[in-house]
Amino acid sequence: MAISVLICDDSGFARKQMARALPDNWDVEVSFACNGEEAIQAISEGKGEVVFLDLTMPVMDGIQTLTYIREHDLNAMVIVVSGDIQPEAQTQVSQLGALDFIQKPISKEKSAEVLKRFGLL
Amino acid sequence: MNKHIVSITEDQRDCYQEIANVAMGQAAALLAKLLEVKVILPIPVVNLIEVNELRMALSGIENSDKVSGVCQGFIGNKISGEALLIFNDASLSDIAKLLKYSNELDTSLDLELLMDVANILIGACLRGIGSQLDVNFSQGHPVVLGQHVNLSELISTNNYRWSKTLAIEINYKIEGYDINCDLLLLFAEDAIEVLNNKVNYLLED
Amino acid sequence: MTNQNISNDEFKEIHSLMGMLQNLDVGLVVLDREYNIQLWNNFMESHSGMNPYEVRNQNLFSVFPEINQVWFTHKAECVFQLNTRAFTTWEQRPYLFKFKNYRPITGSAEFMYQNTTIIPLDSATGQVERIGIIVYDVTDVAVNKLELKAINSKFKQLSRVDKLTGLYNRGYWEECLISEFKRAKRTEQPCSLVMFDIDHFKTVNDKYGHPAGDVAIKFVSDALVNTIRETDIAGRYGGEEFAAILINSTAEQAAVFAERLREYVEQSILEYQGIKFNFTISLGVAEVASGTQSHNEWLDTTDHALYYAKEHGRNQVHIATKQKN
Repeated sequence: MAISVLICDDSGFARKQMARALPDNWDVEVSFACNGEEAIQAISEGKGEVVFLDLTMPVMDGIQTLTYIREHDLNAMVIVVSGDIQPEAQTQVSQLGALDFIQKPISKEKSAEVLKRFGLL
Repeated sequence: MNKHIVSITEDQRDCYQEIANVAMGQAAALLAKLLEVKVILPIPVVNLIEVNELRMALSGIENSDKVSGVCQGFIGNKISGEALLIFNDASLSDIAKLLKYSNELDTSLDLELLMDVANILIGACLRGIGSQLDVNFSQGHPVVLGQHVNLSELISTNNYRWSKTLAIEINYKIEGYDINCDLLLLFAEDAIEVLNNKVNYLLED
Repeated sequence: MTNQNISNDEFKEIHSLMGMLQNLDVGLVVLDREYNIQLWNNFMESHSGMNPYEVRNQNLFSVFPEINQVWFTHKAECVFQLNTRAFTTWEQRPYLFKFKNYRPITGSAEFMYQNTTIIPLDSATGQVERIGIIVYDVTDVAVNKLELKAINSKFKQLSRVDKLTGLYNRGYWEECLISEFKRAKRTEQPCSLVMFDIDHFKTVNDKYGHPAGDVAIKFVSDALVNTIRETDIAGRYGGEEFAAILINSTAEQAAVFAERLREYVEQSILEYQGIKFNFTISLGVAEVASGTQSHNEWLDTTDHALYYAKEHGRNQVHIATKQKN
């Protein structure tokens, strides 16, 4: 059965870039969200078993989203994809339960490497 | 000069914003390393503006504040522009603390601070943008625009050869400190078309 | 770590490859991680009088003790550690290397103003092992800019000052008033305003002539300048009207100052073309109160106090009653 993948980023271009960077042979159902609120909605509808999450977003940012997912014990494996690559941001997201932290811009190689590492591919 | 109207579409604007987002993140990481702080990243603001509206593009800085700024030209693959780094003077004493300059703040020390931060932010941002657009930018020597002056005095050049400019504003703040600085990347009118083509290539399916 | 210093052969080779670079009219220097000189072009040789073999593998700071080591390493360490370029301008420090002006005869500067660019080198591994310094001679630009700045500041000074008295003119004095008002509000330090004018000035003019009137005005302004402290701000507000902002002074302290000035003027006898005359002044004083809304309100309050002093017999100081919050 296809895995549900959610791509959450306020930038349409970034969402597209992320979608393009997904492995070709991966059996997935992809959905999109523009901010944390939309992401949480989608996750609770079962559309986000795997979530690629941006950090800097309006309405509800990545950190707030991770916190919410954690507090409400939502079923989502979150991989943060961010332009903010300060060590502090990386530590913070891993403490909030994110699987991994990928530096933007994303590439096919990087996403495949991370997905393999967590047995998702 | 070609007279047709330059414009950017919503998709292109979004793409510029994302490119700036990635580049400023790289620059912020260097600054964070140098100063051992956490840099708070904003969402970059991308606008196509008339050059005489430049002041409006500096939304992170109040018109009445005293500011200091430097400006640095850049060019690569027919894409030319200028980077402006503007500091609110209220930020200077906190930056001095972070850069571990111990002497009292005098005019020349202010300039050191301004130049140190400009060297890092402008260089890294241009490198970040360049690597995403596949452009190698050369940087001219930075020029001091003014120190401890009003914003309008700082950018009061009237010899504008470009009428439109693509402006990317990044307002950096540092957690736990009263530091507020605006990095403004301005692309010349004739660079916009070249940039748009580059961005269209990225936007293609 | 392998030997970072390059061998004599390599050094010669690099220098022979530099034919073109040698003739560039900019300075090129390469330094290793310990700030030892690895490369030294013709420009550097000509201006320093030291040839590349003399300086090779020598520490930059021992060859050039006049370089501020703390400052330079601060810039260079950024380049080494962050793998990013650094620029320095003559406005920060006039020069890195103290060289003579290229034009020793017609040039007005004694030494060469320099801009420098510090670039990371050998960063293929991600580790910056060497840095390059490019030194630009910017003497002409710097001298022009400095001259322009000096002229501008002179013009600025001239445009602020009243010609007859040398006090600040009304326009500039009011700018000062606005910023001092804001400062007093912000810091909650006391600050007082004194306004005064010459009693029956018209009579002085009519009786002794306008030049005598000017003498009176000049006399009062000199007295004002001699009475105030250096941090206080005095201006010629109108024809025979003067104003002073007394920083960190309560109304009572300002009144002491005002009274001293009044007494001094009253007791002085002036002379113009052999004719002796004297006159008096009336003064109003007001302190910024917590309820004062604007600098204009402050000015009005002081002006009313001055008016009160005039109405009640002149040659006196009147303090405005403190406003309630």
